[in-house]
Amino acid sequence: MYKLVIILRYLRRKLTPMFAALAVTLCSAMVIIVISIMGGFLENMRSAARTLEGDIIIQGDLYGFPHYEALIAELDAMPQVVAATANIKSYGLVNISDMIQTVEVVGIEPQGMEKVVHYRDTLYWTREHVLDDPIAPEDYPDAATRETYRAMRKNRAQVDYTKLGMAMAAPAELRAQEGPALSGIVMGIHVSPYARRYPDGRYDVIDSQLLTELTLTLLPVTSKGTLLEPAARKLVLVNEFKTGLYAIDANRVYIPFNVMQKMLGMDAHADFDPDTGQPTGRTNPARATTVILRGRDGVPLPALKEAVTAKVEDFAKRHRNMRLPRVMTWEEKHATFLGAVLKEKFLVTILFAFISIVAVVMIAVIFYMIVLEKTRDIGVLRAIGASWRGIMGIFLGYGLAIGVVGAFLGFWLAAAVVWNINGIQTFLTDVFGVTIWNPEVYYFDQIPNRMNPTEVTVILAVAVVASVLGSVIPAVLAAMLNPVEALRYE
Amino acid sequence: MSIASPKSEIRNPQSEILSARGLHKHYRMGDEDLHVLRGIELTVKHGEWLAVLGASGSGKSTMLHLLGGLDRPDQASEGQVLFGGRNIFQLGNGELDRYRNRDVGFVFQFYHLLPEFTALENVMMAAMIGRPAWRWFGVRAAVRQRAEELLKRLGLGERLRHRPNRLSGGERQRVAIARALVNQPALLLADEPTGNLDAETGRQILDVFGDLHQRGQTIVMVTHDERIAAAADRRLRLEAGRMGGRDNRDEHG
Repeated sequence: MYKLVIILRYLRRKLTPMFAALAVTLCSAMVIIVISIMGGFLENMRSAARTLEGDIIIQGDLYGFPHYEALIAELDAMPQVVAATANIKSYGLVNISDMIQTVEVVGIEPQGMEKVVHYRDTLYWTREHVLDDPIAPEDYPDAATRETYRAMRKNRAQVDYTKLGMAMAAPAELRAQEGPALSGIVMGIHVSPYARRYPDGRYDVIDSQLLTELTLTLLPVTSKGTLLEPAARKLVLVNEFKTGLYAIDANRVYIPFNVMQKMLGMDAHADFDPDTGQPTGRTNPARATTVILRGRDGVPLPALKEAVTAKVEDFAKRHRNMRLPRVMTWEEKHATFLGAVLKEKFLVTILFAFISIVAVVMIAVIFYMIVLEKTRDIGVLRAIGASWRGIMGIFLGYGLAIGVVGAFLGFWLAAAVVWNINGIQTFLTDVFGVTIWNPEVYYFDQIPNRMNPTEVTVILAVAVVASVLGSVIPAVLAAMLNPVEALRYE
Repeated sequence: MSIASPKSEIRNPQSEILSARGLHKHYRMGDEDLHVLRGIELTVKHGEWLAVLGASGSGKSTMLHLLGGLDRPDQASEGQVLFGGRNIFQLGNGELDRYRNRDVGFVFQFYHLLPEFTALENVMMAAMIGRPAWRWFGVRAAVRQRAEELLKRLGLGERLRHRPNRLSGGERQRVAIARALVNQPALLLADEPTGNLDAETGRQILDVFGDLHQRGQTIVMVTHDERIAAAADRRLRLEAGRMGGRDNRDEHG
């Protein structure tokens, strides 16, 4: 009992132990912040990668593979698979208001994509314009509306958001008077050179190029890998998407699957003899470059991959001229990406763990000072009947108390920083003009701000144990003090 | 097993409460080997006030530490301190801790109060140390009452909540005396209890000892000051590591 009373009193009356507790606080907070941000970063990547590609990617080459509809039908029939959908992936040039840039172009079927990767959730402006083909004339604003829209964008003071909203939500009001129906395009939110992210993380529709016409140019390839005539096409920007993964949001655009297929000559068409240029009478089947699929919840990824691989190999055997596509899990597809972050997290954790050893040494030193300072008191306590175990208990308990106080404060410090990390970053940017987290350098436009309860618990427990360890040597020294010498200590 | 409490047989003036046999103690001071105690023989009777006189460095404090179980004699000397019929140096660590806590009470020249605790807490601390938590809660109120009574009796009724740094030397020493008495020890061991006080305050402290003695408290006090020793009812002289003086009750008459 007296040990507890003495520990609590020492804790309250002395400044020195507060320094030890501060060391524990700072160290544990530091490690929690680093692990949380790096872990959040990794978690963001995992979920983003999964959102982009589904669980399993069946990847052909740029020329693509045929019979994908049959393959999808067979995959859909598998008990482990929820849904599968075909993509075409290629690269192209996009002309946005006379700014030309390269983009990664993905041809998608919005309904299929929705089933596999919840595509609709990534759409930024409205969940309605998912990319239908073709854009019905009534969905496409007339020239006058577009002109109004441009004018509004030029002069932000006159922005009529209601009207702009109507352009997106009530297309019937803006029925096109003329002009051909154009297909839609959905771009990553950072693809447009005019895109601007505001400090609160939002984008303003006024900076976007919504409902303007863009020109997309694609390069079809032959089965031998040579280029054919570039295919250019006008498209309307119907929406933008945001995955949060900057590299994707700044480079990828989605266009309708069949539009892309046609542009790249991957649709079903009559076969021509390459030498004579005469039709051979056969038909080339339609091709896709990629099939992605979502597994049923609870099916382990390796098992899913194994089943799909077997299915694809079997399928390729049954179909003539079918080049065997590669089957990958989303983790394998992004292994270099994820592996690097995993390694970074590990290294940074090790680094900070070493720094934390400094805290343990500091606690040991501070405790040694406390023992010296309290030598006479130790003699007194021994004289009035305290055992050497009791004395050791006081200092070990003291270390424990400092560890607990330090860990408690460390948790709240870390929580305060992690939960407000984006606010802190905005503040630093506003006040000092420094951008610590540049979304062009990192993959995400927001700093992750989640704490993993298990990791936090382990870190705090280690902090407490470290404090106790730091107090062991001084506690033993205190317990071994000769009471008579302790009483004479000046 | 605890050592027999002498409290039942206390106040029998004939019986001996503690005796020391052949106590030797060496100290090393750098290269020098100091033979401080050279065979101390001593008997303390119930209820007596014994003063041991000696010059500085004569080994008075060392002897008192041995009597109080705070230190051990040289291993080779086979010296004994018998209390309640048992040699305290043969007790286990726990029993020796208990002896210091329950059977003897120390009063030091420099008071040695715990600076973080109030006068009342310093006194109660000695009672708390001897008891595990579950037992402490049962007696806490009684101990508190007793500690308050002791402090009030010693004239510190207004000073209960003061920490040592707000007490005068005399007041601190009275707190130390209350702390030594809180567990009702059979024996009070005082090491130059007035050595750090002015003459008037020292006199007051001596009066406290006198009062305790009147109430039957056995006291062993070591001092270098003849005038202080004169207050005791038996005086011994420690010279060259031995009890040189006779048991001379008539000496101070």
